[in-house]
Amino acid sequence: MPAVTPLEAEYRDWLVTRLSGYLRRPENDINVCIPFSEYGMDSVAALSLFGDIEDAFGLYLEPTVAWDYPTIEALARFLVRAGKDGEL
Amino acid sequence: MLSRLNDTPCSGDPAEGPRAHGATPDLGCADVAVDADAGERRIRERVAAFEELLGDPRDEGNPFGNAALLDADERGELSAEAERALAAFGLNDEFVPSALGGNLDRIDGLARVLRPLFRRDASLGLGYGVTSFLAAIAVWAAGDEAQRRRTADLLRGGGRLAIAYHELAHGNDFVRNEFSARPDGSGGYLLDGRKDVINNAGRAEGLVLFCLTAPPGQRGPRSHSVLLVDTEGLPEDAWRVTDRYRTVGVRGCQVAGFSFERCRVPGDALVGRQGGGVETALRSFQITRSVVPGMVLGGADTALRTVVRFATSRELYRRSVLDIPHAQATVASAFTDLLVCDSICLAATRAVHLLPEQTSVYAAAVKYLVPKLLQDACYNLSIVLGANFYVRDGDYGVFQKHVRDLPMVSLGHAGSAACQATIIPQLPRLARRSWTQGTPAPEALFRTGGGLPALDTDRLVLAAEDDALVASLLAAADRLEGPGEAGAELAPVRALVRALVAELNRVREECLALGPHDRTAMASPHAYALADRYTLLLAGSACVNVWLAQRQDGGAGGDGEGFLANPRWVVAALTRVCRHLGLPLPEEADEHSEWMLAEVLGRYHEGRSFDLYDTHLAGPLVDDERAAARH
Repeated sequence: MPAVTPLEAEYRDWLVTRLSGYLRRPENDINVCIPFSEYGMDSVAALSLFGDIEDAFGLYLEPTVAWDYPTIEALARFLVRAGKDGEL
Repeated sequence: MLSRLNDTPCSGDPAEGPRAHGATPDLGCADVAVDADAGERRIRERVAAFEELLGDPRDEGNPFGNAALLDADERGELSAEAERALAAFGLNDEFVPSALGGNLDRIDGLARVLRPLFRRDASLGLGYGVTSFLAAIAVWAAGDEAQRRRTADLLRGGGRLAIAYHELAHGNDFVRNEFSARPDGSGGYLLDGRKDVINNAGRAEGLVLFCLTAPPGQRGPRSHSVLLVDTEGLPEDAWRVTDRYRTVGVRGCQVAGFSFERCRVPGDALVGRQGGGVETALRSFQITRSVVPGMVLGGADTALRTVVRFATSRELYRRSVLDIPHAQATVASAFTDLLVCDSICLAATRAVHLLPEQTSVYAAAVKYLVPKLLQDACYNLSIVLGANFYVRDGDYGVFQKHVRDLPMVSLGHAGSAACQATIIPQLPRLARRSWTQGTPAPEALFRTGGGLPALDTDRLVLAAEDDALVASLLAAADRLEGPGEAGAELAPVRALVRALVAELNRVREECLALGPHDRTAMASPHAYALADRYTLLLAGSACVNVWLAQRQDGGAGGDGEGFLANPRWVVAALTRVCRHLGLPLPEEADEHSEWMLAEVLGRYHEGRSFDLYDTHLAGPLVDDERAAARH
């Protein structure tokens, strides 16, 4: 498993904080490998994550980004790439 | 992906790119304007022909008359004679894109053409037809050419499609759906599981099924797919139709379910891509949620008409019921609410063409608000009807049928909580990005007629980035405060719009303060209340902008004197909206009860519809009928 870069770690931490707010669960309760939907985050609510990411990091993404990268681990890794490539 | 419902080139199309909707998509060249007029004329002719077919509602021998429809409802059936007449009329053509030989090219037109049927009977409206449309839209949006052709041929030949997205145990949480379609190893699928409470389950030739296609343990928004299945080719021992459900309303609808067990279907049943089911469903809902409320409004028209008939003919305390001020106010308010509802229906259906990037919110808003306002209006009307509300046949029996049917047609395919849950997660972002600045909707959004760009389902986006309807409320406020509209006669409109803008600012502050938890299905009741207030603000925006557009166009008669160009109706409508919002009414607010009542009575006596379109209704005029009865 490749090492997590500092940027990826930053995205992960931010997503953990976000998800803990959505779900009202302590941050250390959130596993980065478990899909959002397993935490009870429904597909419609997951659509609002792209807007938060845009506001926080200036990354312009498809609303379905959290569907295609359905865990914190996968989404953080994708955001690193998205940041490098500009708009995806 | 084939998504254009109408492939004819249309230079009236407002935008090639997804963001150019701010530009007014006005019909720039003459030939398109002619086409637009032809489209509008076709809708009007179709509405008139349909009303003519439906005939006199008080004729006891008419299969579309009140007596026959009440009788069928009591028996829990759809009249076979009525269904044959609808098939002969080619009603299913309304659900098939014109590029495939049908009549579907304008979503607002679809609502208008179906409205006369819903004025008669929601069971026929849903049971014959609309159910097929709800199913077919997934095929129009995501199907391949062969599937589109097959579906078009089925519907145009008078066949039916059933739609099975939901499962009883999972409600609108349909990602939890367990009905599965597993690869069978030779390119097809094996279907397993149950679908419950499905309209026309036992008699549809085609099924649109929402199925789990991902392996167990990989469930999420990409784990489901939509399948289009012909019932005729299914192995008989591998599936069955389950027992019929008896329902409170739309009793004639044939509601049952399916049970499948290792039922093999070919691989070409897949609509769109595997895993694309939730996306296809949410895109389809943007159209179906927008259009159904505008049809359902017809039932409330009949409820109001029935109460007016009662109130004008019944004497109490030696006066007619309609001499009682409370009855007058109730009738006038119900009519005003119908106009408010039709205004937001108009904006939502035309938004599918003009603002496809924003309809995820508007479709949910109209599907939430309109049934609620109509049901409240009917409840108030039931008080005027008194004990006659409970009578199931005779002169006023249709009232209780429409009252029972309304909640059924509104719950069917999207309950109000599901619609609010679509709106709530989007509110903070819209509040931040779009509610102080933003591009207003093109004026064409608010026109009761006139051409629209072709529908392109690929442009429907799952989450809205902008909110042109709110921007249009602010634009209307600016216009009314400006020098061009300084007249004292507009002071009431100005004051009411000001009250709505103040409410918008309060809603905005509260939306910005919503916590992240409020964006999930576990949102607080406060978040649901905010969504409710937001939908009423959208309705207010629609009303004032419909009125402004009518004034611009000179009203129905083109002389600026038409009903909808008159500021009184919009003052009444905005006053109702403020009341529904629970706002303190500005001094200038006025329900114009007498004036609205006079309009209701005029339309009642002349046989015209209680909506924005004021269309002619079939059957003898009330006065002629009474004169005939006297002789």
